[in-house]
Amino acid sequence: MDFELTEDQETIRKSVAGLLRDFDDQYWMAKDQAHEFPTEFYETVAGGGWLGITIPEEYGGHGLGITEASLLLEEVARSGGGMNAASAIHLSIFGMHPVVVHGSEELKRRTLPRIASGDLHVCFGVTEPGAGLDTASITTYARRDGDHYVVNGRKVWISKAMESEKILLLTRTSKADEVTKKTDGMTLFLTDIDRDRIDIRPIPKMGRNAVTSNELFIDDLRIPVEDRVGEEGQGFRYLLDGLNPERMLIAAEALGIGRASLDKGVRYAKERVVFGRPIGMNQGIQFPLADSLTRLDAAELVLRKATWLYDNGKPCGREANTAKYLCADAGFTAADRALQTHGGMGYSEEYAVARYFREARLMRIAPISQEMILNYLGSHTLGLPRSY
Amino acid sequence: MEREEFVLVRDTVRSLAPRYGVTSPDEVKPATRAAAQQALDDMGLRDLRRSSPPAATAQECALLAEEHGRHPLTTSLLGTVLLAPELLRLLGDDTSRGTPTVALTRELRFPGPESADLAAWDCEGADSALCVTTDGTVTRVELGPAAPSTDLVRSVRAVSPGAPVETVGRLTAPDQLRWQAYALVVVTAELVGAAGSFVEQAVEYARVRRQYGQAIGSFQAVQHLLADATVLVEAGTSVTRCAAWCLDNEPPERALTAARVAKAEVNSSALEAVYAGMQVFGGIAQTWEHIAHLYLRKVRLGATLLATTDELLPALAAPEVTR
Repeated sequence: MDFELTEDQETIRKSVAGLLRDFDDQYWMAKDQAHEFPTEFYETVAGGGWLGITIPEEYGGHGLGITEASLLLEEVARSGGGMNAASAIHLSIFGMHPVVVHGSEELKRRTLPRIASGDLHVCFGVTEPGAGLDTASITTYARRDGDHYVVNGRKVWISKAMESEKILLLTRTSKADEVTKKTDGMTLFLTDIDRDRIDIRPIPKMGRNAVTSNELFIDDLRIPVEDRVGEEGQGFRYLLDGLNPERMLIAAEALGIGRASLDKGVRYAKERVVFGRPIGMNQGIQFPLADSLTRLDAAELVLRKATWLYDNGKPCGREANTAKYLCADAGFTAADRALQTHGGMGYSEEYAVARYFREARLMRIAPISQEMILNYLGSHTLGLPRSY
Repeated sequence: MEREEFVLVRDTVRSLAPRYGVTSPDEVKPATRAAAQQALDDMGLRDLRRSSPPAATAQECALLAEEHGRHPLTTSLLGTVLLAPELLRLLGDDTSRGTPTVALTRELRFPGPESADLAAWDCEGADSALCVTTDGTVTRVELGPAAPSTDLVRSVRAVSPGAPVETVGRLTAPDQLRWQAYALVVVTAELVGAAGSFVEQAVEYARVRRQYGQAIGSFQAVQHLLADATVLVEAGTSVTRCAAWCLDNEPPERALTAARVAKAEVNSSALEAVYAGMQVFGGIAQTWEHIAHLYLRKVRLGATLLATTDELLPALAAPEVTR
């Protein structure tokens, strides 16, 4: 076993941390409060060439693995940018995986270099009001019309749709009652967000307010056939390929926000003096922080194992899911304790931990709830009967 | 019961502890068991719930069970004093003789549709056991040989499969609900008493045990652990006393719901509280001689007694009419 990061991986960590040093808590608080996309941050990351970290070199990227991508996103979240920062770039980092693997050469040439350069913002259009995590129940329908498809339907919780030029859109091209397997008959597109045909409404929400979460109302959207990713009817299968890496990247972001929270909690515990001594001298403060350190460290190890397995072409469903589960819990717990350590100040926006807390909470729900992770582990890993 | 009278009864139960409470499992011997039970029997408490209307309310019975649970006593207060007499009272049977306790399944749950695969529970001093099947039929079964039990101070005996079964009567549907609620409350109250007492002992230990030149109770990590455990005990106490109040004041369906809530809560909170207490006692609580495992055994087994939380929660989640 080798627990050490490679020299290149260490370089990624240090470079990203250095690059983001100027984006301080003040910057993120202002963006969060103004509900404003962090364009300066995005451009800095793009300018550093990081957005194309996993995109193949022939399309302008670096062709690196999920381990490197996870280190990048962890560092981004850890910089204090939290989920505002991570979500601003998340889709560019690995979201195009279905296009890389299954897209036509023309589609790849047309989109991937622009993603890698940061010129093209994309969002992910899968979840729907009536479907939630039960993806096979989506009803957004794409009807073939000559060399186009005409799409009607609704999507919900579409991150960054307001700021995006294109959407990776999952539709049904056969209705659920027309296919033998529920996951058949779905088709994936990477297409323009035509604002005349897609009404985008941001959802007021608890946190991560620099990046919108939106409801989309799609009305006779015309999509050219060349924007279709791979074969018709195979969209769900294409998405499946990306699920494990998605879990790991989310885990990395949760881990990063947990580390940022713990750093803040520890610093405050050392500085704040009550009853004539730093509050960190109280076991009631010190122990929860130390406990969070153990949980974050343990979660990180599972994450490293998961990304290593994926990058080495080995099965990693169990580890990817476990990593997401543990990192989300450890990250949230660390944020909660950091807030508790700050006492009343934790509730003020000035100390940033309230922002971390709101964002860390999200990681136990999105993009998949902790309960669904347990469903996966229960049925796929332990072989118990499917419970849902 | 008048308040003064009840306090007297409770103090009488409490007075068993200094003389008959065990301080080590090695003290649990047939002769000491019999002597303790005789002392309890001499108090004549079996009539508390035998008459109609009963001399003691369900709340008073729950408080007695709680008091009994506070001490490692081998006496059968629950089985022979509080539970079996209540069954006979509900049946209107005032002619039965002898000292029955209650029969449960071999897993110590409420029996199913048949009087089969039974164990007599809490049967120190008992000469038979009463079994309530799911249709409310109450039968009397003979006691078999002593059966091993995780709870080292409580006596459990086998019921031989071929032993004669005598039908005593049949509970009405409302009385069956009352019976279940009452049994759950009394058992739960004993667990609350055990957990509360053990946490108090751990608090006392934290005051006197010194490490690094100071009482371990001065460490916040120990203090907070005990404070959390106290909160658990208080929550369990409140919910159990509320369930007991419901038995005296609410229709049987409501009382059963409250009793199920109490048992589901205490199954976990009593155990957590005892875990916390054991952590404070440290290594000494892992020894055979120490009293800790007697409490742990009582609440660990108690958490499965009559109904586990896993069994109670679906019953509570179901619409009221189908419970």
